Amino acid sequence: MSKRLGMVIDTKRCMGCHTCAMACKVENNLPDKNWWNRTLTVGGDGMDTPNGVYPNVSMAYVTLACQHCENPACVKVCPVGATYKREEDGVVIQDYDKCIGCRYCMAACPYTGVRVFNWEVPKHQVDFAVGDSGVPTHQKHTVEKCTLCAHRLAQGMEPACVDVCTGRARFFGDFNDPNSEVSQLLLKRSHFQLLPEKETNPSIYFLS
Amino acid sequence: MSTEATVKAAPAKTAPAKSGSTILLAVTGLLTLGGIGLWAYQLSRGLYVTDMRNLTSWGLYITMFMFFVGLSAGGLIIATVPRVFGLKGFKNVSKIAVYLSICCTVLAAAFIVIDLGHPERLWHLIAYANFTSPLMWDVIVITAYLIVSIVYLRATLRAEKGQGSEKALKTLSTVAFVTAILVHSVTAWIFGLQIGRAFWNTALLAPMFISSALVSGLALTLIVVLILQKVGYLKADPESNSRMAWLLGIFVLVDLFLLFCELLTAGFPLGGTGFEVVISMLSGAFAPMFWTEVGGGIIAAVLLLNKKTQASAGLVALASALAVIGIFFKRFQLLLGGFEFKNIDYYSIPTGPAAWSNGVLNYSPTLVEWGIVVGVISLGAFMLVLGLNKLALKPAES
Repeated sequence: MSKRLGMVIDTKRCMGCHTCAMACKVENNLPDKNWWNRTLTVGGDGMDTPNGVYPNVSMAYVTLACQHCENPACVKVCPVGATYKREEDGVVIQDYDKCIGCRYCMAACPYTGVRVFNWEVPKHQVDFAVGDSGVPTHQKHTVEKCTLCAHRLAQGMEPACVDVCTGRARFFGDFNDPNSEVSQLLLKRSHFQLLPEKETNPSIYFLS
Repeated sequence: MSTEATVKAAPAKTAPAKSGSTILLAVTGLLTLGGIGLWAYQLSRGLYVTDMRNLTSWGLYITMFMFFVGLSAGGLIIATVPRVFGLKGFKNVSKIAVYLSICCTVLAAAFIVIDLGHPERLWHLIAYANFTSPLMWDVIVITAYLIVSIVYLRATLRAEKGQGSEKALKTLSTVAFVTAILVHSVTAWIFGLQIGRAFWNTALLAPMFISSALVSGLALTLIVVLILQKVGYLKADPESNSRMAWLLGIFVLVDLFLLFCELLTAGFPLGGTGFEVVISMLSGAFAPMFWTEVGGGIIAAVLLLNKKTQASAGLVALASALAVIGIFFKRFQLLLGGFEFKNIDYYSIPTGPAAWSNGVLNYSPTLVEWGIVVGVISLGAFMLVLGLNKLALKPAES
């Protein structure tokens, strides 16, 4: 049976440290200013600010990257099939060489900001590549996003963001395997998906 | 005998017109070259030179694409409907309308190519075609539509010279008419089928696009016809002008009605994303564009439907211009609106570089974008002037 790979993120453990976002940026040698994974503050108008008035304040974090949906809006609309969902494990992935840069996938994806476009030649802060050598080279004028670290999956490792999480809030596995850690977590804890009304059925679950 | 008279009369009329059109061709040609130069700059430096960024990933080019598909489809529908339904048409201007429509289709396609990150990979659309994509549907339909329009114009020109049958022409009109409706519906579906963008996701979008196409297409045809009558290329035809003006007035009212339906449906719940959208249009960030469009539309409808003002070419041209500008604002508003309302709006660092503008609507086209737009429109003007000179677009009787 094919796998349905995804992640479970425990919002009760997440402290908004951004380590997962940084690990992704380094691992994938992301061009300047591009982020595939971000830590969002669910609260006030700024980073690490709560909403409400003291003492009735609340704050939480949501780390947002590609949701690797079961019913992806992006895959449907790509005119050349440059973004596709892998049969064997459900990872939604980009083929940079096919991408014509029409950016329809960016318009279709409901998850604000998970897809980024290289508006110019990819630049980096240092003059050498960082991260894993298995990462496809970034191309100008193509769309990119989280690949669930497909290059690491190919080596039997888990995504970089899961590996580095300081709060041990991130879990990775196969939802089609009822005995996997992620499947068990969904049975034991209450959880939610982002934007369920958009009918995309994400493979990223948040424990609440 | 009459042919001799016409041939004799021709040189005197075309002499000043020829130098006028040479100047026009030179100016529009230069502006087109300038546009091409700017496009080359955009390709080399990157789309970074536009104001589009990750959260507003489409902008002026896609707006212009929508706008020109509308102008094109509208013009062709006006030209073919009379023959399809056996109504009294606008025979004197229908060839010009079809040619204008062809020019607009070319411009629409140009805008798409200009917006692409990798135009040299256009062949991927054939090699790797994904038929679940509304964009792919539109590529297919627009290509078919361009071919059908050209074949239709050619058949019309040949029919006037006695070749080809009236029946074949009627069939071709029906095909052209259906393709025109299809082309703008499919273009609407590129936006309307996206559940992720509340501003776009409405079943009314295809009917609204067709309605806007009829308004803008007929308005543009009317403006071109009035100018051509003024410079003597066409004979003055107040009766035909009045009928077109009246029809445009009706189309404007229908378009306003559809807009009202949309606003009422989204606004009635007094809450939710739809309501936010309505408020932003009536009194928020989109208000200036919205009220220009609605106010301009109402003024246009009044000028076009009132018997006295309908008789004045100047006022009809003004009304048509207001209608066209209103439709442009409608397209721009639609596009920006899709990106304005974010589904996940929690505070976050930006995903990519900052835009040049700090505009209220998170997007304000740069000079490069405007320059390219001017270049493409000039290409259209160039093609139009060339066609008016080289093709037999004048009414058969003259």
